[in-house]
Amino acid sequence: MIDMLSLFLSHGLLLLMAWRLLSRGDLDDDKGPVDTRKQHNKWGAPDA
Amino acid sequence: MRDLFFVAFLGAMLLLGMRRPFLMVLGYVYVDIVSPQHLSYYLLNSIPVSLIFFLGAVVGWLMFDRKQVLTFGPRQGAMLLLLVYCYFSTENADFPLEATEKWDWVWKVLVFAIFLPLTITTRLRIEALATTMILSASCIIIAAGIKTAASGGGYGVLNLMSDSNTGLYESSTLACVAISLIPFILYLRRNSTIFPPDWRVSLFCGALCFACLLIPVGTEARTGLICIAALGVMMLRAVKRPFLYIFAAAFLGLASLPFLPESFTKRMDTMNEVQADESASTRLAVWRWTIDYVGIHPMGGGFDSYRGNSFRYEARTSSKFDPNAPVVHEPGSTIVIVDEGRAFHSAYFEMLGEQGWPGLGIWLFIHLSGLLRMEILLRRYRNRAPEDGHWIAGLATALQQANIIYLIGAAFIGVAYLSFAYMLIAMQIALDAHARRFERERTRKPFFVAKVVPA
Repeated sequence: MIDMLSLFLSHGLLLLMAWRLLSRGDLDDDKGPVDTRKQHNKWGAPDA
Repeated sequence: MRDLFFVAFLGAMLLLGMRRPFLMVLGYVYVDIVSPQHLSYYLLNSIPVSLIFFLGAVVGWLMFDRKQVLTFGPRQGAMLLLLVYCYFSTENADFPLEATEKWDWVWKVLVFAIFLPLTITTRLRIEALATTMILSASCIIIAAGIKTAASGGGYGVLNLMSDSNTGLYESSTLACVAISLIPFILYLRRNSTIFPPDWRVSLFCGALCFACLLIPVGTEARTGLICIAALGVMMLRAVKRPFLYIFAAAFLGLASLPFLPESFTKRMDTMNEVQADESASTRLAVWRWTIDYVGIHPMGGGFDSYRGNSFRYEARTSSKFDPNAPVVHEPGSTIVIVDEGRAFHSAYFEMLGEQGWPGLGIWLFIHLSGLLRMEILLRRYRNRAPEDGHWIAGLATALQQANIIYLIGAAFIGVAYLSFAYMLIAMQIALDAHARRFERERTRKPFFVAKVVPA
């Protein structure tokens, strides 16, 4: 029970971190956008 | 259930890694620290998980990563030299079979440590690596911390989820690593951009620090207590109100005494009677043997050369009467102990006995030059504005403190090739290179200055 709690918590946070990194433009380039999702409007098309 | 959980997690990491190849590097770091194969019952045991992630990391880096900021520092060169040296010492080892067995995992640790700084090219990647190391280790630390709080633990008794006695699943190693993580946790609580500071982050970080402090109690590893003391002294340098800090630390230390298990205080008490403690006396005998050994073999005896040791020494039994202990000898009497094939129980003597003076010299260069570089970065950036690289000073402090704790703990445990320590070194190299690029950008003057011509 304790083991599973620890596994779920740590691995859940690892996955959340990985998920958040997907949309970070500054992961590959320091000058990249902090959040690439902000470059798109709500319909998914790039902002003008 | 646990097997399916790990398969699902690793599958998810692989899928996410296809979109952002750097996640493969983080996946390998996770596999290296947690060793899910050790926690799995049957599904993962037949799959080469680390090989899959390592290949993914290398191929992802070769095909998709930017190579403009590629750096190869002197410490990577030193690790490469150590790798070559270890190869030749294995070829001429005293115990070739055992040496080859150790070489099989040591070369992977060193190769990944040389490769890792090449991939850590941005601030976010440095932060992601630190977060992955913390969260991966937290999987063992949280469980051990809760069990300690609930039952008190015990030497060799605390269940660390796996029967394996390698890597972080060895109690003294876990105690040392857990304490070395505390500076990182405190740094990321304030500076993380992946998990921006808020009350949930503070709550998790506070609870995790507490769990880290409980590991030496739960495992009853004396090394852990020494590491806590070292961290306490080092943090004195970083705090704004040192007297308040000393008072609070002393108060908390005294207040925690009634809550500590009796077995823990009894075991810590053995540090006062080195001669009476067989574990400490054996270590001293092995270390004396190692110094004699390198006198004859200055280039070392290859991996596992300790197997050749045998010694005889006199020790005193404890002068304290323990009604619960079986009566074998009179308290305070002298006994003769004969032993052989005892491990080094110290990373310094491990390097000395296995790789000789040159190997120890390279290993010390890798660690001590890292400490020096972090000190330089700390002094250079600590008075800068937040947008002018102040975070570099904070991370350099955390890396320096973590490395010192490792070096102190390593005096009593044979962890010269602990992959976690090499990841710290890789992060130091990456931070150093990043600071150099940052400084270059900051001081760069434009080659051409555009003139505004009035219309």
